[in-house]
Amino acid sequence: MMKRLIIVSLCMFLSFTMFVPQQAAAADPVKIGVIVPLTGIVAQGGLEMKMGIEMAAEEKGTLLGRPIELIVEDTQVKPPIAVTKAEKLVYKDGAVALIGVFSSGVGLALAKNIDKLNVPFLSTHVMTTAFYGLNPMVFRSGQLANDQTAVGNVKGIMARPDLKDRTYYVIVHDYAWGHDAGQRFIELAKKNGIKIYNEDFDKAPIKTKDWSSYISKIKASGVDGVYMAFITNVIPVFAKQAYDFGLQQAGVKMVSAAAPGPLELEAGGEACYGIFGASDWSWDVNTPESDKWEMAFWKKYKTIPSDAAAHSYVGAMNLFKGIEKAGSTDPKAIADALRGISYDGPYGTVRISAKDNCMRNSAVLTETMAAPDNPFGAKVVMKVLQTFPAEELGPPE
Amino acid sequence: MGGVSTAIDITLNSLVLGGVFLIVAIGLNIIYGLSRVMNLAHGSLYALGAYSGYTLVSTGLNFFVALLLAPLLVGVAGLLIERTVIAPMRSRSIVYTLILTYGLMFFIDGLIKYTWGNEPRFIDLPAFMRETLPILGTHYPVFRLMTLLITAVVMAGLMLFLSRTKTGMTLRASSTIPEMVSCLGVNMKYVHIGAFVLGSVLAGIAGIIAGPLTTIDPIMGHEMLISSFVVIVIGGLGSLRGAVIAALLIGAVQTLAEFFITDLAMVIVYMLMAIILAIKPRGILGEGKFE
Repeated sequence: MMKRLIIVSLCMFLSFTMFVPQQAAAADPVKIGVIVPLTGIVAQGGLEMKMGIEMAAEEKGTLLGRPIELIVEDTQVKPPIAVTKAEKLVYKDGAVALIGVFSSGVGLALAKNIDKLNVPFLSTHVMTTAFYGLNPMVFRSGQLANDQTAVGNVKGIMARPDLKDRTYYVIVHDYAWGHDAGQRFIELAKKNGIKIYNEDFDKAPIKTKDWSSYISKIKASGVDGVYMAFITNVIPVFAKQAYDFGLQQAGVKMVSAAAPGPLELEAGGEACYGIFGASDWSWDVNTPESDKWEMAFWKKYKTIPSDAAAHSYVGAMNLFKGIEKAGSTDPKAIADALRGISYDGPYGTVRISAKDNCMRNSAVLTETMAAPDNPFGAKVVMKVLQTFPAEELGPPE
Repeated sequence: MGGVSTAIDITLNSLVLGGVFLIVAIGLNIIYGLSRVMNLAHGSLYALGAYSGYTLVSTGLNFFVALLLAPLLVGVAGLLIERTVIAPMRSRSIVYTLILTYGLMFFIDGLIKYTWGNEPRFIDLPAFMRETLPILGTHYPVFRLMTLLITAVVMAGLMLFLSRTKTGMTLRASSTIPEMVSCLGVNMKYVHIGAFVLGSVLAGIAGIIAGPLTTIDPIMGHEMLISSFVVIVIGGLGSLRGAVIAALLIGAVQTLAEFFITDLAMVIVYMLMAIILAIKPRGILGEGKFE
């Protein structure tokens, strides 16, 4: 009788432990969907974003007392694929938030579906101004938006005699971000008396490999400045081909709407000297926080720290802070917590505006040139020329 | 910059672009014309040529030596592919090789990405090739002019090989009357191998000359594969002369469209293809005229 009682009790105990909800276990991870391009034309940028987010997760360790699990999906920079991957991350994997995204086209496609997905989406690399106040669940904490970059670049041009009195030829990549970046720059440049050669600017297909026709067109125009809005990996490619045609040697200066990737700059070498542009960060920023972060990055990945990695790291830290502040993984609670949150990182305080869900932070104007001795063995540096406080870049709140 | 110098720039740009299209497309056409294999991995072999050239030059080898070696390496890769992937499927429908080479394209791209990484690479050219040459008011890159010369030499060599040598004539005959050629004692297995290796070598040549022109990245072959298909469809599937005409036409149309219309450049190219196919469904010189 006693033996039977023990067996029945044991069975009941085992049944009980089997049916206790697993989420009660403290070790159940908080899942975050990381959506980045790992194949295609911007794969390197996507890889750097992934590195930044992974580094943040590793540093943070736990969220709400639970481990962080990053589930990475490749968008291939294609909006429909990104949406499908986001659905998989949310519905199948149980991701409580989405982070990452390279390309405004992909970001806008995800934003359009965010009500259905019902999780907060924090972009770390979408620059379109359409993101301001787009949706209560959509946030930006990452690369400067087009209006902020335009402000930085115009201020930089106005402040530098070698850039100011030039006529700029505007050429962009033919998609949402490029168009927005071109328009923002032209509007602001005209207000400041900067001469623009082609207000109806050139829009080159994103898959353009041979830039010779465009470079011939720039040569024929007789301008002495080029404003380019190309995805990061393509900037050195264009610069290299322009250099082959002698454009830079003829005195033409280049200003970029996006920060070139460091590995691409290394590959382009001397041809990539003399590219100006506003961005969040460069490893030339010399503050204790920046130096500490870039050395930690170098130690972990043994690759030159990039702007894409830095702002993705900061974006992830802001998201993690938001989840902790929310105290739960409830989507609305996280979204509410993200509004107004800030993180102090390698480029100072990055605050997500409570007004429009997009970040405000300081930025730098850089020029690419031969690098001094550095721990990363880099031959090209984005030399910091000027720093802009967050209030100067806007937009006003 | 005056009108004449701009016209020279545009003309040379279109010839350079057309030249690269031509070498890739001719390689694709030779493989299809002689062995009826539509090699969707051809663009990846082109990329492999560029990366091989990059690696050889990076090790300190002279660019011209790399120009000879890189295509040979791609030829060896082509030989391996033909023997291991294509040959076992030869007796089956063309769809099998189409699917297999499609998969092979991703395999080679993945291998490239794994070996060389994602970031773009540039081939370091000898100093004199990095200069520009003054031509009637414009300064044109020496390497681009060298590309024209290399294209001309490759095409002349290929035409001489196909029209003046016994092997070349056998290859041409094999494209139109394979049964007869086989009856004459020619082992068709070697014709198929030769076609695939020759096509691969041409892809390798195009890759190493396109490397310094544009950039080297793991997916550089995708766009080139599409452009090559446009060329061979317009020229006539399997037609070598058709490919020459189509490549020069596409090079000129794309360059002019990029210069004057910009936003719609590629649309114009595909519209041209649609118009030509509407008028001549088998391409300019018709399908299968391997001459």
